[in-house]
Amino acid sequence: MFDHGQPSYAEVNKDVLSTMLETGPRYWMLLGTTISIAGICFFMPWFYQLIVGVGAAGMNRNAVWGTYLSNFIFWIGLSHSGTLLSAVLHITNSHWRKSIYRSAEAMTLFSLMTAALFVMVHVGRVWFVHWSFPIPNQMGLWPNFRSPLMFDVMAITTYLTASSIFIYMGSVPDFAAVRDASTGIRRRLYTIFSFGWRGTAREWHTLGWAYTFFAVFVIPLAVSVHSIVSWDFALSIVPGLHHTIFAPYFVCGAIYSGTAGIVTVMFCLRKFLGFEKYIGQVHLDNLGKLLIALSLIWSYINILELFSTWYGGTSFELEALKFRLTGFYGPLYWEMITFCAFVPLLMLWKKFRLSWNKMLVISILINIGMLTERFIIVATSQPRKFLPDAFGFYFPSWIEISITIGSFFIFATLFLIFIKWVPAVSIYEVKETLKPLRRDA
Amino acid sequence: MAIMGTFAFEEDFIAAAKDLKSSGFDNISLLSPLPLEEAQEVLGLGKSPVRRFSLAGAIIGAASGFAMAVATALVFILPTGGRAIIAVPPYLIITYEMTILFGVLFTLIGFHVVSGLPAWRDKPYLESANIDRFVVVVEGVEGEQTARAEAIIRGAGAEEIKHVEEDR
Repeated sequence: MFDHGQPSYAEVNKDVLSTMLETGPRYWMLLGTTISIAGICFFMPWFYQLIVGVGAAGMNRNAVWGTYLSNFIFWIGLSHSGTLLSAVLHITNSHWRKSIYRSAEAMTLFSLMTAALFVMVHVGRVWFVHWSFPIPNQMGLWPNFRSPLMFDVMAITTYLTASSIFIYMGSVPDFAAVRDASTGIRRRLYTIFSFGWRGTAREWHTLGWAYTFFAVFVIPLAVSVHSIVSWDFALSIVPGLHHTIFAPYFVCGAIYSGTAGIVTVMFCLRKFLGFEKYIGQVHLDNLGKLLIALSLIWSYINILELFSTWYGGTSFELEALKFRLTGFYGPLYWEMITFCAFVPLLMLWKKFRLSWNKMLVISILINIGMLTERFIIVATSQPRKFLPDAFGFYFPSWIEISITIGSFFIFATLFLIFIKWVPAVSIYEVKETLKPLRRDA
Repeated sequence: MAIMGTFAFEEDFIAAAKDLKSSGFDNISLLSPLPLEEAQEVLGLGKSPVRRFSLAGAIIGAASGFAMAVATALVFILPTGGRAIIAVPPYLIITYEMTILFGVLFTLIGFHVVSGLPAWRDKPYLESANIDRFVVVVEGVEGEQTARAEAIIRGAGAEEIKHVEEDR
């Protein structure tokens, strides 16, 4: 499991805590850059849009949904592997999860936050967003829970809450380790964060049970969240969206893009935080195998979607399909197929699967493909619904493109802040994977 | 008064805990840098009551989720396309989400109640117990008991023994 020999317990504490407690100028430069780009590319165009109205985006009468919602699906999807994979591997007692799950769960949390931001950008008048919650108000207005959009509000709120609790509770013993290794205000803060954790057998026992229950709750929750996101589309009668396969398609795509995202994040953790000792070939190999399986399922569902549309023979559906495959966005469709169905097959060869650089490239290509997939779903269906009178065209404006770019820097900023506040690798769970020190050894 | 024995090896630590337990010391805490099933077995920790909190949360969440969906539909009647005002299939989705939300929140409450965290007062603790040492703490010992507990801990191979006054 460890590429560079087994570390001692004390070394694990030292290695992980040093990434939090020792901060060089490179970190501050990187953080400053990501904050600046997020501000310029995301928040400034958003404020501009708030001033001039949502018409500043490329959406129009025939395409009322655009890049904001495709980004929303992408970020929700990216959130899926962290908590879900962590929970599934915890229940199945897979030891290789222990070094990577904390950062994967953080990825979930920050992807969800970024996704939630896109809802705010999309709705236009963001100051009325509280209307989507069942809160008493002076107009006597209540949400309509028959709408899939309200399912979304409930699902994402629940997912954000559950994921935050999941990552926080798993970090409590490590917060105690930070408390013990620090002084001054940081020590006082982490005394509060760790609830006075001492590591007694009773505390471990209770945490173990609670954590297992969190995992049991989170698995069906994660599946439900992306199913519900898919119903935003599939419960409409718009050609190209009204498919029963959409829920499993979205869930599979979400786990697929999330797993690829984990590979990218693991590469960065190794490269920039020096976690080579803890994140090794075994993680890469297992994630690679998982990606191949997910890629095959994803490809199968895509073929199924094409087949069922063709076999159904409805003229509206066939028109939407023709536009998707050969229309203006046809090249994007084939780019998606290349990146998500063919490129991952390279991982069948072990030399690809065990190379960090190659895996980084593959994982980024998969996520470019998945971002494209979400864009195609939104941009090629609504503008091609039913009669030619309703036909239109959607192309993102510079504001939408800029906000899309900015969202990646928001995610990066949140992650950079995270690594200085929470141990990016679980200290106590890594210790569980080490052979116990025995007197006779 | 509390006695703290520090061990470098897991096996000695478990042996000390077993000896203390069999000698009638009930008020013991076992501190370790990672979860140890054997330590939990020594203390007789079986199924955790946390599961009852989870179940209660899930049931309350399911009931309140469905009730909320029905109540909002009744206070703000929105007739659309001849659909039922109280539509059970979509409300089951809200019920499902609320089941999970309350299940998670109640599990969190259960964790705090059962583990006794946050700790409001200082308890015997060594920072090395969060790094690479295993610590046995015998609390509430006086007089002859102190010597007996210390002998057991020393006999099991403790590196260091400390006597601390408890904060009550």
